[in-house]
Amino acid sequence: MLFATLEHILTHISFSTISIVITIHLITLLVRELGGLRDSSEKGMIATFFCITGFLVSRWASSGHFPLSNLYESLIFLSWALYILHMIPKIQNSKNDLSTITTPSTILTQGFATSGLLTEMHQSTILVPALQSQWLMMHVSMMLLSYATLLCGSLLSAALLMIRFRKNLDFFSKKKKNVLSKTFFFNEIEYFYAKRSALKSTFFPLFPNYYKYQLIERLDSWSYRVISLGFTLLTIGILCGAVWANEAWGSYWNWDPKETWAFITWTIFAIYLHSRTNPNWKGTKSAFVASIGFLIIWICYFGINLLGIGLHSYGSFTLPI
Amino acid sequence: MPSPTCYLLLNPTASRSHHRPRLPLPAAAPPRRRVHVSCDARRTGGGGGGGGVKREAIPAGTGKAKKQVVFFDAAPPVSQRGGGGGGEGEGEGEGEGKVARRKENAALGLVRRLTKRTLSLLSNLPLAISEMFAIAALMALGTVIDQGEAPSYYFEKFPEDNPVFGFITWRWILTPGFDHMFSSPVFLGLLALLAASLMACTYTTQIPIVKVARRWSFMHSAGSIRKQEFAESLPRASIQDLGVILMGYGYEVFTKGPSLYAFKGLAGRFAPIGVHIAMIFIMAGATLSATGSFKGSVDVPQGLNFVIGDVMKPKGVLSFVPDVFNTEVHVNRFYMEYYDSGEVSQFYSDLSLFDLDGKEVMRKTIKVNDPLRYGGVTIYQTDWGFSALQVKKNGEGPFNLAMAPLKLNGDKKLFGTLLPLENSGSSNVKGISMLARDLQSIVLYDQEGKFVGVRRPSSKLPIEIDGNEIVIEDAIGSTGLDLKTDPGIPIVYAGFGALMLTTCISYLSHSQIWALQDGSTVVIGGKTNRAKLEFSEEMNRLLDKVPELISVNEKKIDSKQSAT
Repeated sequence: MLFATLEHILTHISFSTISIVITIHLITLLVRELGGLRDSSEKGMIATFFCITGFLVSRWASSGHFPLSNLYESLIFLSWALYILHMIPKIQNSKNDLSTITTPSTILTQGFATSGLLTEMHQSTILVPALQSQWLMMHVSMMLLSYATLLCGSLLSAALLMIRFRKNLDFFSKKKKNVLSKTFFFNEIEYFYAKRSALKSTFFPLFPNYYKYQLIERLDSWSYRVISLGFTLLTIGILCGAVWANEAWGSYWNWDPKETWAFITWTIFAIYLHSRTNPNWKGTKSAFVASIGFLIIWICYFGINLLGIGLHSYGSFTLPI
Repeated sequence: MPSPTCYLLLNPTASRSHHRPRLPLPAAAPPRRRVHVSCDARRTGGGGGGGGVKREAIPAGTGKAKKQVVFFDAAPPVSQRGGGGGGEGEGEGEGEGKVARRKENAALGLVRRLTKRTLSLLSNLPLAISEMFAIAALMALGTVIDQGEAPSYYFEKFPEDNPVFGFITWRWILTPGFDHMFSSPVFLGLLALLAASLMACTYTTQIPIVKVARRWSFMHSAGSIRKQEFAESLPRASIQDLGVILMGYGYEVFTKGPSLYAFKGLAGRFAPIGVHIAMIFIMAGATLSATGSFKGSVDVPQGLNFVIGDVMKPKGVLSFVPDVFNTEVHVNRFYMEYYDSGEVSQFYSDLSLFDLDGKEVMRKTIKVNDPLRYGGVTIYQTDWGFSALQVKKNGEGPFNLAMAPLKLNGDKKLFGTLLPLENSGSSNVKGISMLARDLQSIVLYDQEGKFVGVRRPSSKLPIEIDGNEIVIEDAIGSTGLDLKTDPGIPIVYAGFGALMLTTCISYLSHSQIWALQDGSTVVIGGKTNRAKLEFSEEMNRLLDKVPELISVNEKKIDSKQSAT
């Protein structure tokens, strides 16, 4: 009961903090940039990070197993992974545009986890026999970290595509569109932020295409680095899963739908990495592949679980064996 | 002298926080001699061939080396490459003046040309990428179409008179074997093609790139250094200081006279080859698994035994029967553990292995996630069943009642049995029905089918049904075991390990830095293959640390230079 209350408090604190953070982001985006607000949004992110960490730890303590047994916990873990991704460049003190992707992503995953799912799913579930292994921690955490990283990387690529195929660079007409169309929300934010940073580093707007070019270069470079990292994590995650499957199910590869889709994701991002070795395909074409990858990750992470098919149908259903 | 704004535009990544001014790049570099002195002993022979516009062209002496740096699309036409090889042979033949030898060389050249043509075709990047796309698409299709059903299922689901999407009938699915996608010839053929592409790419592209990368070389003209992706000039600086600072940042530094070469992260160049080799290992191991393994599954009631060889069925042509197949497995005990909520927490089977002489060679309690391994055979706990119920009726017995599975689909199992009350030959036998979902509790119904009560086998508590006193003595479960031998596992695991390691190393980026002392100015150029933004940031930080020399030192350097 104590743990339940603690978890309840922590989720609410983190959710409200992240809501404030996102509002600050919107204000800085739409109205004007305020130094103090930006600072406080960073502090908010750190506070939320500790809340979520506290939540996961208390889950772990109360259930006695690694808190990744159902969809709710895995979504919370995903947003935690996004925070980690947000924190790493901050620690290294290098400037980049990742935070504009990670902040809205965390609020969306967390919002979906707390309000979109049934409340019964919030309860920590018992571990079915097949999940009782040390590999659970390694495999699932690696997979979710890689999903978070790859999602960020592919969103950066999607932002690149948005900017690349934009006709005019008019700030104010875009602002209206931003309010109207929520669909391209992250990309817009990403775009404005990156544009601002471009404005800062070069103070004479001589020709508008120059920003565009520079911004595209930056986005391309960042999405490549982030996707490379995610690809490494995905490889480790899939292989750990294969070794675990050989312990639990009797074969390292079963062509189970989830496995297959993880492999498809892996293939798509392998295509992305290979397409970058060709100088002609660098940029737009490879970004297109990465954007396809964005959809594939969601099918892999969510679609298969919703269908509840195959051996990986944990979360929605409990499987005795 | 360009204005600072212009300089910033030229170097957009440079931050404005430098504590010392840096000279902007001169618009027109003074003409410099372009002498490439090779100080690397390994390639003393190859200096003459290049022409020397590109640095990478220096080691080129043979035709082979010429394609080292080129990427797929920028590669010279195949014929040219083949011609280079052939021409070498011809020249040799003419010099000797022997017709036979020339013929031999011509034939050899043809073979060489053919293999080169195939290799360059296979290592073609667009081809490899389309192979990967095709494989991904087929895998996706394999999860959309239900796999492994009987043909009649597909006749029904994809009828000819009412095709799905207007054109997909069962013919589309059954003819290419898409009802068993992951073993269909189309899919396996594509995987084999991909493996061939992997090997060809490693041979023709990756290894030459590494060969080039391993040859560290100095650049002796400021012009070629300025052509690098990252280029800077530091006035009043010394190359020695730069070298020390670079070492501090983890670079391997080489200096010779006024030039400097430094690199780090060379492993990042090698790692992609390792990734490819690991992939080939995994594919080879998987092929061995598919052709050389045995599989079997068995359902054994507690207390009974079976011989491993009786259960196992070969999966492919390379399946050799090992000796351990004579081993007999005895199920000492099968039991489950439950959570407080009543759900199963774990399944256990206590197994004993006996060899031909009846000697116990191994004993282990296996559970899900903890299989038994003996002489190449692995025994997994995968399933369970309800074998029999031991019942005492009015103090008689105990009788063993066989339990019949009533519902087996999925995870909700149901077993049932009937204890007949009148042993008459009449067709309408009535008795006590007993149903169980697990080994824990048995639900009893009377002759009319009315619920009477629930008993646990452990409680030994009697229950009155239609005037009979029933005691449930024991519930005997049966364990579902999967057995397999897989000779491919060591190779696949080696591939897994290598793949994990090499993909991690692939994240490193290989950075190279060249510098030249040009009077009191140091010209620095650098490039990296992956982390381009981080590299220029790191370079900016690093160059900020290079101390500015005062005029006394400047004189020293000048005198040093004149000495050399």
